[in-house]
Amino acid sequence: MKTKCIHKDLIFYLDNELSEEKRTAIEKHLEECADCQSFLAFLKKGMQVIEMEKNPEVSPFFYTRLSTRLEVKPEYQAQSQWVRLAQPAFFSLLLVLGIYGGLKMGSNASTTNANQQTTSSIQMLNDFEAEPIESFLLNEL
Amino acid sequence: MDESELIKGIQQGDNKAFRLLVETYQRMVVNTCFGIVHSAADAEDLAQDVFLEIFRTAGNFRGDSKISTWLYRIATNRSLNFVRNKKRKGFFQSLEEAFTGGKNLTSEISESRSDRPDQNITDQQRSDLLHRAIDRLPEKQRIAFTLNKYEELPYQQIAEVMEISLASVESLIHRAKKNLQEQLLDCYKKKCV
Ligand SMILES: [Zn+2]
Repeated sequence: MKTKCIHKDLIFYLDNELSEEKRTAIEKHLEECADCQSFLAFLKKGMQVIEMEKNPEVSPFFYTRLSTRLEVKPEYQAQSQWVRLAQPAFFSLLLVLGIYGGLKMGSNASTTNANQQTTSSIQMLNDFEAEPIESFLLNEL
Repeated sequence: MDESELIKGIQQGDNKAFRLLVETYQRMVVNTCFGIVHSAADAEDLAQDVFLEIFRTAGNFRGDSKISTWLYRIATNRSLNFVRNKKRKGFFQSLEEAFTGGKNLTSEISESRSDRPDQNITDQQRSDLLHRAIDRLPEKQRIAFTLNKYEELPYQQIAEVMEISLASVESLIHRAKKNLQEQLLDCYKKKCV
């Protein structure tokens, strides 16, 4: 009489992880079951992919490539760290100046007796504000 | 030069020590990444990043575990991240293809496969099948299985790399194998390759 199919244990049979008792039972079943035999062959070939492909050859230039990246990175990092700190500081300064300038202009517009001196100081503020943005953008590009 | 001398050298910026470390462990790191990403070129790129990370963080190495354990941990983490990003990109790409009416590559492959008689499975198809099955494993099972099968690590060292108990490693690998077997059985029954 044919015993129950053992598809679910075959991977452990392949890896030799079963008890003596279970292994003998499987071998007995395999003798009389063509389907389990065929799946065992399929499974074995499938798992053999790992044995065939593992440890791919490493490029002989592996370290050379790595060492060029090592030389480039720290410098870039130091710079980017500076930029990371300076950039927000710069923009907050611009923002504060912008708000200040805006408030000044607003209060100027509401007062009717605006004199020449305040407008020229606004002019200066505006110049100071506009120029760094342009040069900053240029630097970035 | 023993491990602690090697690490000390790297911490002091000694390029010779770093080179020695790389040459000693490059095969191991590339192979570990390869087990997860299934591409030798991607595995080498990832291995480069692993060693760069080692170089930059050598100061943090406490020396209470082996260098290899440390390397395995970084290599598996980076490889999983790589696969996750690739999956995300693939998802958006297939969305885009669905909307633009582009060809769906995966369905095309499986269609051409089902036409073939199952006796003539090529090596390429067989390895694609296994890689897909491995990719479908939950991440912890995948790491434990990869370290065990590709690197032939004993369960105890896998436990150290993954910072879990020996029993958990046994259970993860057992479930990984069951999972793979189920997927291969499914494919065998449906003659998917
Ligand atoms: Zn059977």
